[in-house]
Amino acid sequence: MAMAKDNELRDKSETASLFALRSSLDFLFPSENDRWLSVLRIGLGLQTVVYALFLRSDWHYLFASSGKGLVGREVGEAIASFDSPLIPKLSWLVALGPSVNMSEEAVLSIAWACLLCAGCFLLLGLFCRSAAIVAWFLHLCAAESGGLLAYGADNFMTTALFYLMLSPLPDQYSFDQYVVKTKPKNAQLLGFWRRVLQLHLCFVYFIGGLAKCLGNGWWNGANLWRSLIRPPFNLVSPDILVRFKYALPALGISICLLEVSYPVFIWMKKTRRIWLICILAMHAAIGLLMGLYLFALVMIVMNLAAFGANGRIGSHRWLSWRKSTVAFVEINS
Amino acid sequence: MFPKRIYAAWFGIHFLLITAVCLAGLFSLIAEGATMLPSALEPYARKAEVAAAWLLAKEAAASSPVRRGVATYLHAAGIQAGYTFFAPNVPDYHRLTLELFYDDGRVEHESPRLRGKAAALRLDSLLDRLAKQSYEPIREPIVKRLAFSVWREHPDVKKIRAVFGSVTPPGIAELERGKTETFQPIFSFDFSLRDGHGEGQ
Repeated sequence: MAMAKDNELRDKSETASLFALRSSLDFLFPSENDRWLSVLRIGLGLQTVVYALFLRSDWHYLFASSGKGLVGREVGEAIASFDSPLIPKLSWLVALGPSVNMSEEAVLSIAWACLLCAGCFLLLGLFCRSAAIVAWFLHLCAAESGGLLAYGADNFMTTALFYLMLSPLPDQYSFDQYVVKTKPKNAQLLGFWRRVLQLHLCFVYFIGGLAKCLGNGWWNGANLWRSLIRPPFNLVSPDILVRFKYALPALGISICLLEVSYPVFIWMKKTRRIWLICILAMHAAIGLLMGLYLFALVMIVMNLAAFGANGRIGSHRWLSWRKSTVAFVEINS
Repeated sequence: MFPKRIYAAWFGIHFLLITAVCLAGLFSLIAEGATMLPSALEPYARKAEVAAAWLLAKEAAASSPVRRGVATYLHAAGIQAGYTFFAPNVPDYHRLTLELFYDDGRVEHESPRLRGKAAALRLDSLLDRLAKQSYEPIREPIVKRLAFSVWREHPDVKKIRAVFGSVTPPGIAELERGKTETFQPIFSFDFSLRDGHGEGQ
C-alpha cells in the first residue's frame, strides 16, 4: 500500500518535471515565420551602412597606428588582448597587408569599403549569411581596436549582428530567396532566435531600469536635465528645457518605470503595443534630442524585430501548450 | 530536425553569462556607494560582485584558457558590458584643454577634434573613461597621443600643457540664477616637443 503511494508520488513528480521541461521547450521554440528576421536584416543593413558613412571621414584617424591617428589603435587593442588575445582586431587585417603588398592605409580603406558593402548586401538580402558574418567581424574588429572610443551603440550593434549571423538566413524577402528558391526554414528554429532576441531585450531594459531606479536623480528630473545639457548631447537649448522643467521629473520617473516593467508588459497581449510604442518613442527622442542616432537606430531595429513584426504561425504554440496541459491534467486525474 | 537540446544548452549558458555581466555591473554600482541604497549593503554588494566575476572566470589567472574563452565569447557577442547607461545618476562630463605655447610667447587654446559629429561622441566617451581610477596607468600615454594629434596641425608649437578636468553643469535653478558650469581640474601634463616626440613632465 505504502509502496503504491510512493510510486504514485514519484510518477507525479516525474510528470510535473516532464511538464515543466515541455513547457520550457515550447516557450523556447515557438513556431514563427521569418518576417521578424527580414526586419532585423534590413534594419541592421541600414545600421551598418549608416555606421560606415558616419565614420567615413574619421575612419583612418580613429584606427590608424600611433603617430598617424588620434590615439592609435594599439592602446585599445592592448586592452582587448589583455582580456583575450583571440578577440578580433583590425591589426589582424593590417598584418596581412604586407603579404599582398598593401599598406596599412590601404587595408583600412578596404576594411571600411567591405563593411559598407556588407551593409548594402544585408539591406538588399544578397549573400545574406556571408554579408552578416563580414559585417559582424569587421564591426567587431573596429569596436575592439577603438575600444577606448567605443560606446553603448557598438555593443548593441555587435550583439544584433551576432544574432543575425546565427539566425536561419536567408529570409523570404531577401534577394537570395528570389535567385535560389531554398526550402522554407524551420519555423521553430526561427522562433528560437526571436526568443533569444526578445529575452535579451528584457534583460537590457530591466537592468537599465533597475539601475536608474537606484539613482535619486531619475526621480526628481535632475538626471534627465543633466543628460540633455551635457555636451555633445546638448542639441536642445537649456532655455527651451527650462520651460519644461515641471515635466522633467514625470518624464524621468516614466523612463524608469517603462524600462523596469518592460519584461512584464511587453509579453502581455493587451499592453505589448503600448509598451513597444513608448519604448520606440523613447529611443526616437534619444536619437533626435541627444544626437545618439546610431544607438537609437539599433535599439529601434532590435525592438521592432523582437516584438514589432507579427511572426506567429497560426495557433501552433497555443495548441502545443494546450496539448501538454491536457496531458498533464489527464495523467494526474 | 535540428538538435533542440544543443540550442537549449547554448541558450542557458548564454543567458547565464548575460545575467552575470549585468549583476556584476549592478553590484559594482551599489558597492561604490553610487546608489540610494544604504551604505550597510556595500560590503555585501562587493562580495556579490566578486561572485558574479567568478562566474565570468575573471578570478582565474590571466593566461587561463577558460578565462580567455569566456572573454572572447563575451566580446564576440557584444555582452562584455552591462546595461547601466546613465545610471544610477548622470555623471559630470570631462574636458581636455590643450594650451599651446609658441616660441614667440603666444599661447593658444585647443582641444582634440574629430571631423564627424558621430565620431566626436567617441572622443567624449574616451575622456569619460580617462577620469576613472582604473584608467590611471594609461592616462599619460593617451593624453600625450591626443596632444600629439593637435601638435601635428601646429608643428611650430614648442610646448603643450594638457589640463584634464571634470565639468559640473548648473542645475535648473542655478541656470535660472545665471550660474554657468564649473570646471574642476583633475590632472595636467606638460609636453615639450622636440624632434616630433612629446615628453611628459
